[in-house]
Order: sequence, then C-alpha cells, then structure tokens
Amino acid sequence: MLEKNKKYLQIAFNRSLKEISSMIYSLPPSDRIIIEAGYPLLKTYGIGAIRKIKRWWERKSFRSLSFASYVVADLKCMDRAFTEVEAAAYAGASAATCLGLAPLETIDAFIRRCEELGIDSILDMINVEFPFEILSKLKKQPRVVMLHRGVDEGEENKEKELPLHEIERIKSVYDEVLVAIAGGETIEEVISGVFNDADIVVVWRPFNENPERILYITSEFLKEIK
Amino acid sequence: MILEKRKKYLQIALNSTLKEAENIIKSLPISERIIIEAGTPLIKIYGKEAISKIKRWAPSGTYIVADTKCVDLAFRDVDMAVKAGAKAVTCLGVAPIETIDRFINECQKRKIDSMIDMMNVPDPVSVLKKLKKLPEVVILHRGVDETEYSKEKQLPFYQINQIKDNFDIMVSVAGGDTIDEIQKAIFNGADIVVVWKAFYRSSRQTPQLAEEFLKEIR
Repeated sequence: MLEKNKKYLQIAFNRSLKEISSMIYSLPPSDRIIIEAGYPLLKTYGIGAIRKIKRWWERKSFRSLSFASYVVADLKCMDRAFTEVEAAAYAGASAATCLGLAPLETIDAFIRRCEELGIDSILDMINVEFPFEILSKLKKQPRVVMLHRGVDEGEENKEKELPLHEIERIKSVYDEVLVAIAGGETIEEVISGVFNDADIVVVWRPFNENPERILYITSEFLKEIK
Repeated sequence: MILEKRKKYLQIALNSTLKEAENIIKSLPISERIIIEAGTPLIKIYGKEAISKIKRWAPSGTYIVADTKCVDLAFRDVDMAVKAGAKAVTCLGVAPIETIDRFINECQKRKIDSMIDMMNVPDPVSVLKKLKKLPEVVILHRGVDETEYSKEKQLPFYQINQIKDNFDIMVSVAGGDTIDEIQKAIFNGADIVVVWKAFYRSSRQTPQLAEEFLKEIR
C-alpha cells in the first residue's frame, strides 16, 4: 500500500495493450511508480486489462527490487459501487477510482467496499468546484483525493488552472488523506504539484505519445518528484 | 436523430454477464420499440466487446445504446461506441461543460445519438442551457445506490415537462423499475423508459415481462 511520506508518479496508460506491455517492460523499476489502467483503456478492454497490466508490472518489479506492484483501476465509478469495486479488486487492482460527482450514497458505498476488500479508494474530483464540501459530507474519508483538471477542459479552456491551492487545504484538515494531482503534463506542472505538497502526480500524455522514450521521460519525472 | 419522436420506447439495460445478456436478448419479443443498452458495468468488465456482441445477438437494426457515462476524453468514448456498432452513447450531465459540448458535437459528426445522463444533477435545465448544441436525449436518472440507500428519494418526474417546455428534445427516465413508476413516467410525458431489474437474469418470464412493459409504454 502507499506510504505517507513518499512521493509517487502515477502513469496512466491508454494505448493498445500490446504497446502498453512493452512500455511497462521499459519502465525503470521503482516503488514510486504507480501504474494506472486508464479509463478509456478499461472501457475498451474491460477489467481483463487490469489483470494483464498487473502481471506485466509484477514481473518487472519482481525481477528487480521485489517491491509490491501498485495498479490503479480508473473506474470513475458513478453508481453500483459494490459491483465495480468487486470487479476491480478481483482483477488484482490495488486501488480504484470513484467520481466526486457521484451521488453521496455511491461514494460512501465505494469507500466502504474498498476497505472491506483491502484496496485503496481514490476520489476523483474532476469538475467538482468545492472538493472540501464533498469530503465533509462523507461517512469516511477515501485513502486518496485526486484533484483533477480534465483533458477536454484543459484543451478547450487554456486559462483553466490546476487546483493546486486545494492540496494544502485538504491536507491540513484531513491528515490521513493523500492528495493526487492530475491534468498537468509538463515537467513544470509536475514540479509545481510536488512543490504544493501533492503526494501523487498523475501524468499520461508525454508517456503515451512517446512510448519509445518512456524510460528517459520516467527517469526525468521521477527525479523531480521526491 | 435515429429514434422517432412520436413513439414511446422501452430501453432494456443489460448489466449482469454477457451470457445473461445473450439469453435475455434472445428471449425478447421483436419490437422496434425496444432499445437495448450495454450497461456501464458490462462495458467496464468486458470492454467494447460487450457492445459488439450485444449488437450481434440482437435482431438486425436494433437500436443499441452504449452506456459509457463519458466524463472526459469525449472523442475516445464516441469513437469506441461507433466502432463497436452503437447507435447512441451516453455522457454524464455532471461532466465538465467542455466535455459535454465536445461529446454532442462528436456524436453529430459520427451520426449517432447523444444522450446526456442527468444522474446527481439537481437542475438539468440549467445544464442544457449552458450547452452549445442540444443532445438528442436527456436521461433523468436516479442511481441504483441512491435508490437502495435513500429509499425516500423520488424519481424527478416533474422535470420531464420542465425540460420539454424549454427544449424540443426526447426525455428518458431511468431508475424506476416497477410498473407503477413506469406508468408515472409515461403519464408525465417520458419518451423512453429504462429498466434493468426485471432483465438482470433471464427467466421463463422474460418475454412476458417485456410484453407487459411494452403495453404500459405507449
């Protein structure tokens, strides 16, 4: 499971499974890398994708450092929390995501089922104006809160900024919660995410667009995330 | 627009396993008023194959909805649904406006119907007013978890006319599975009623149930 005082780089994979397999084998072995089965990937291949990704990353991590491989299923759950969490957990996911925009009943059921099945719950705050308000209404806090600027939002509205200011606000009240930041893709954005005390930085574009350079890019990003 | 505005439709959402989906589809009566939905859990578990298989099992020309519940990367969802053979695809009303606009635009370009799912949206009219173009269908939706954990939550039937008074658009109601709720939805002007519970597992009653629902939805 995730450690409180470490910083993590979460790489979301969204290419074909064949390409992802060689990308994962090219990654530098590091327990600070989190592998994400991206949301479009899941909808294209189903949860079988989680199982495969898990196996590839496990092989890689076992050969090198024997650290526990950590794979996130980006379900973006909106309803039927039990069914979705179970599907992800049985496929071997270490964590799964639920939308902060989902009904509270769904979020509460999601967090509870994740706890029962021993996987981490991640609450994705895409398009949530006041993440704080949602957290305060929950019966229990998720393991990770993900602050997220969507791809479509970011591309259509260049002025939309990453909600970096929320990181400290959340951490100062909920000290057990880890905060992830998603939607920034440049080294500069990653640096400012970590500077603002994010525990996890989620990236996808530079990795999925340059699969052949993934070892170099990952090493560069890991250097910045400490 | 592929659906006919004057007709009333029964949308059967398949959410269990592909095997059940196949059995259910094969036992349904043939009716152009039946819409078949590849449910969200089915898509997340089996991937796009869920959509293409349902299409293969259904009578040719069946209107198939891919319930992808898009919340970002609209282009990818629409592209996947089109390639798998769906005639309509869903996007969440709680998604960023940029995503919903891109989604509707992409559906138009690819000639499939866009459905905006208003689950957990308190005021659907205000979301519709912000859009550059209107979707083909708006889904008023009470979620399964909401229904189960908050028994007092009502389906927002009054919103059907609120929407139809403001926009020339089809309205679908999801989240009510009893005959009583279906009657209320139709009485209040819904064009499509989405059901799933009665069609979660196939049984000997499946064909009659579909017939009964079709009778109520006119």
